[in-house]
Amino acid sequence: MDVVRLRESFARVTNHGDELPLFFYSDLFIKHPEVRDMFPVSMTTQRGRFVNALMKIVSQVDRIDELTVFLQGLGRDHRKFGAVVEHYDAVRSSLLATLEHFSGPAWTPELAADWHEAYDLIGTVMLAAATEDEKLRPAFWRGTVVSHERRAFDVSVLFVRPEPRLDYLPGQSVSIECPSRPRLWRFYSMANAPRPDGLLEFHIRLIDGGAVSMALTSDAIVDTDLRLGPPVGVLTLDQPPSGRDLLLVAGSTGLAPLKAILDQVTTMPQPPRVQLFFGARDTDGLYDLDSLEKMAAQHPWLTVTPAVSGQPKFDGETGTLPEVMARNGDWSRHDAYLAGPTEMVEEAVTRLDSAGVPRHQIHIEDFGWSEP
Amino acid sequence: MTTTAWFDEQDRLTPEDLLTVTFPVSRLGRRGYEEEPVKLFVRAVHGEFVRLVNERASLWQEVQRLRRRILAGATEGDPQAVLFGEADAHVHAVQILSTAQATADRYVADAQAYSSRITEEARLRRDHIMSEAQQHSDMIMEEAHSRARDAAVTALNLPAPVQTDQERQAAQAELAYLRTYSDVYRAHLRAYTEGVLRGIEEWERKEATTFQATAQEQQNGLNGLNGHRSIGP
Repeated sequence: MDVVRLRESFARVTNHGDELPLFFYSDLFIKHPEVRDMFPVSMTTQRGRFVNALMKIVSQVDRIDELTVFLQGLGRDHRKFGAVVEHYDAVRSSLLATLEHFSGPAWTPELAADWHEAYDLIGTVMLAAATEDEKLRPAFWRGTVVSHERRAFDVSVLFVRPEPRLDYLPGQSVSIECPSRPRLWRFYSMANAPRPDGLLEFHIRLIDGGAVSMALTSDAIVDTDLRLGPPVGVLTLDQPPSGRDLLLVAGSTGLAPLKAILDQVTTMPQPPRVQLFFGARDTDGLYDLDSLEKMAAQHPWLTVTPAVSGQPKFDGETGTLPEVMARNGDWSRHDAYLAGPTEMVEEAVTRLDSAGVPRHQIHIEDFGWSEP
Repeated sequence: MTTTAWFDEQDRLTPEDLLTVTFPVSRLGRRGYEEEPVKLFVRAVHGEFVRLVNERASLWQEVQRLRRRILAGATEGDPQAVLFGEADAHVHAVQILSTAQATADRYVADAQAYSSRITEEARLRRDHIMSEAQQHSDMIMEEAHSRARDAAVTALNLPAPVQTDQERQAAQAELAYLRTYSDVYRAHLRAYTEGVLRGIEEWERKEATTFQATAQEQQNGLNGLNGHRSIGP
C-alpha cells in the first residue's frame, strides 16, 4: 500500500466538499435501499462524521497502533446501529465507487488496490472488535424511564431502569435514543455509581432546538422505553487510586458524571478530600445544590462551593466557574475532574495548566470517535 | 485524446487551503481588518470554490460521456446505445437522490432553527419577566420598609398618654411597623400579580392568533408540501 498516494488521492477528493459524502450515501442507498432505515432523516451530521472518520483513518493509516484503538471503538459503537458483515461489503463498494467518481482520470488500478487494501484493514479491525464485543454484552440496552422531575426551567432529572443490568465505571456515559426521535443518539452521563437496584440517574438540559433533549425533558417521557448504547468515556477515577485529593468542577449538567464519581467516593474506606465547584448562570441553574449540600453535611471530607456567573446578587461565589476555581486554592496536588460546556472546560484546563497542575492529573471527557 | 484532471496541477489553490489559511494578527494600535468578517468571507469563498470544483467535475464527466458517444458513433454506428449507458444512469440516479437528501436536510435544519428560535425567545422572555419581578419586589420591599419605618417613628413620637412603660411603646411601634409593612406589601403584590397574569393572558392570546395565522398560511400556500409534515424534530 502506497500511503503517500492514498493520502494524495484523499486530499484531492475532499476538495469536493459535502458532495463526496452525499454521493457516497446516495450510492449506498440506491444499491442497498434496506440500509437507509439505519440512518436519521437528516444526514447532515452523519456526513460530517463520515468524512471526519475517513480523514482520521487516512492520516493515521501508517500508525497502525493508534488507529487500531480508534477502529475498535468504531466497530463496537456500530453494533447498536445494527451493522453486520454484509454492510461492511456494501460500504466498501460504495466507498470505492465514490472515490473513483471524484478522482476522475487520477483513478488508476494501483490506487484502487491501495484503497481495497486500506479498507480491508479498517473492516477487519472493526468487525473483529464488534464480534469480540458481542460475546460480552448486548448491542444496546432497553431503558425504561421510571421517573421524571423538572428541577429547573430547562433541567430535568430522569431515572431509568435498564434491561438487562448495565454496569459501568462512575463518570462514564451512554448514548441514548428515544423512540420519538429515531436514529438520533446523544451521549448522557450517569449521575450515580452503579446501584444494587440498577437504576440510572440522568441530568438532561434542554438545548434550544435540540431534538433529543426536548423529548427527554418532557413529562411525557415517563414509561417510555429508550435505547441505551454501551458505556463509554474516560472521565473515571484512577485505578489503583492515586491517593491525591479530588477537585471536581461541574458546569450545569456537567455535574452528572462528577456526582457519579462523588457517589463512588462515599463507598471508599478511606475517602480522599473532595472539593466540588458547581456553577451555573443563575441560582435556578444550581438544580441539584440541595442534595449536594446534604451530602456535604454528611461527609466531612466533602466541600461544596456553588458559583453563579450571571446574577450579581448572590450570596456566595460569583464569576465564571474557572475564575472561581482558580481563586479558591492551589490545585497542583489534586486530581482535577472537569465537566460542562466545552468553553468552560477548556478555560478551566488552561487555568490549571498555568497554575502548574500536571497534565496527567487533569481529567476531561473525550468521546474520541463520537461526538457527545 | 487529452484529458485534464481537475486537481492534478501542482501549486494551485484548493478549497482545503482556504479552510486552513491563517493570517498574522496586526500589532496593537496598528490598523487591520476585523477577524470575524474576514473569516466569514473566506468561508463564503470556500463554499463557492467547492461549488465550482463540483461543477467543473460534472462538466468534465459530461465531456467524457459525449466523447465516448462520438467515438462509438464513428465505429459502431449506433450512438443511441452509448447516449445514456448504464453507468451514466446510475450516476444520474445518485445525483437525483443526493439532491433529494439535501432538500430533506434543509427542511429538518429549518424546522430545527425555527424550534430553536422559539425556545430561545421563550427563555429570554422568561428571564425578562423574572428579572422584572425581582426588581419590582425589591422596590416594593424598599417602599414597605420606608413607610413602616415612618409609621414606627410616628408611633414612638406620640405623646405618651400617661407615663406608660417604654416596653409598651416599643411594642406599639413594632405593631405599627408590621401592620403598615404588611398592608403596603400585600397591596403591591396583588397589583403586581394581577399585572403579570394580564401579561400572560395577552401573551397566550397573541400566540394563539399567530399559530392560527401560520396554520392558515400553510393551508393556503404550501399545499404541495403536506407530505413532508412528518419530517422534522
